[in-house]
Amino acid sequence: MVIDKSIPIKMEESTSLILDLIYRLKIKDVMSRNLVVASPEDSLDHIKTLMKQKNVTGIPIVKKDRLLGILSIDDIFKALDNGYMQELAEKHMSKKLVMLEEDMPLAFAISYFDKFKYGRFPVVDRNNLLVGMITSRDINVGLLITINKEVARMEELLAQSTPVDVHNIRKIFRIRKYDFEHAGNASNRIKKLLVERKLDPRDIRRVAVAMYEMEINITVHSEGGTLTVVIDNDHAEIIAKDSAPGIEHPELALQEGYSTANEWIKSLGFGAGMGLANIRRVSDTFDFHSALGKGTTVRAVIDFKRKKGNDNDH
Amino acid sequence: MKIDQLIKELGCEVLHRRKETGVKDLKHFVVSDLMSDVLLIDEEVDLLITSLSTTQAMRTADIVSAMGVIIVNGKAVTADMKAAAKEFDMTLLKTKLSTFEVCGVIHRLKG
Repeated sequence: MVIDKSIPIKMEESTSLILDLIYRLKIKDVMSRNLVVASPEDSLDHIKTLMKQKNVTGIPIVKKDRLLGILSIDDIFKALDNGYMQELAEKHMSKKLVMLEEDMPLAFAISYFDKFKYGRFPVVDRNNLLVGMITSRDINVGLLITINKEVARMEELLAQSTPVDVHNIRKIFRIRKYDFEHAGNASNRIKKLLVERKLDPRDIRRVAVAMYEMEINITVHSEGGTLTVVIDNDHAEIIAKDSAPGIEHPELALQEGYSTANEWIKSLGFGAGMGLANIRRVSDTFDFHSALGKGTTVRAVIDFKRKKGNDNDH
Repeated sequence: MKIDQLIKELGCEVLHRRKETGVKDLKHFVVSDLMSDVLLIDEEVDLLITSLSTTQAMRTADIVSAMGVIIVNGKAVTADMKAAAKEFDMTLLKTKLSTFEVCGVIHRLKG
């Protein structure tokens, strides 16, 4: 099953929940902050005692919160064998450091464990100061706790959902922040279904454009969210919902050309400030609510025109 | 004009060819590097001509039901883009010509 070289799960076939979790969770959400550290001037003998007391197998060597190296239990074994336990940590610590940053998604940490075969990685903040350590155990515990919460939430959702007509489309997609690799995928899939159902091409275009704009918006501007699509014979309803961060000036966001997108998003061809205005343009009903700290909900309904005899477009 | 004529005139490298006979008369061309603008177009789109060589260009082209994409300026095309072309059954072409030159050729062919 190991296909992706960096993350030991088959990305294409994984549930969207697990993929969502390993991108949504950040290293700082699961790392341990109870740091056991030593100074470069400590002796190996002192560090051995520290390891025994705190029950750890690797100790970061720091000076004023800045990480200088790591001393592992293997280094202690070597010192015991060769009788230099009184020498200082700075002489024997490993200085070849592989570090993670606290704001990286958990997926990075998972790939690092796979790539480097170390038992632990130091975690630094933006200023390169040591803020925590991460082990496979931290990842397991962090994932289990979060999966538990998510499953409870899904069970609740399942209980609420009502059965729908098999001829109708009803889908919920989870959209992740900054996941440009998959952004738009949900819209392409819905569009394909509509083409198969031989809907009027103009209606397909309107549904696809509204949904795609919403999908890109969630990817670019939110902390991640959901796209709910309900389609029956007469109309399509698309609801984009995210929980954070919300829009500071919702009235400005509707204006054409108003954009808060950064340069690298613009380099992908988006962020021209047309998204919401374009969704409103193609829909028959359009609702938009947003408040800073509360997230954003956009709802678009497209009524199918189905005018007979107008099939000469294609 | 037909797709084969265009491929020849623009000296295109064919990275993927959609399953079609090539008889379709191409009339509607959209030239843009800004995908937001592509999504604003109401008319039918046959080909998207862009220097944005990303999967997002492919996805956007699919949303507007384009039959193909031409990447200009000889930009590198990723394996992901080729996979997207296959998935969306879309023709993916690449030319060394600039956007300006491509437009000139198309204008001439359209007569």
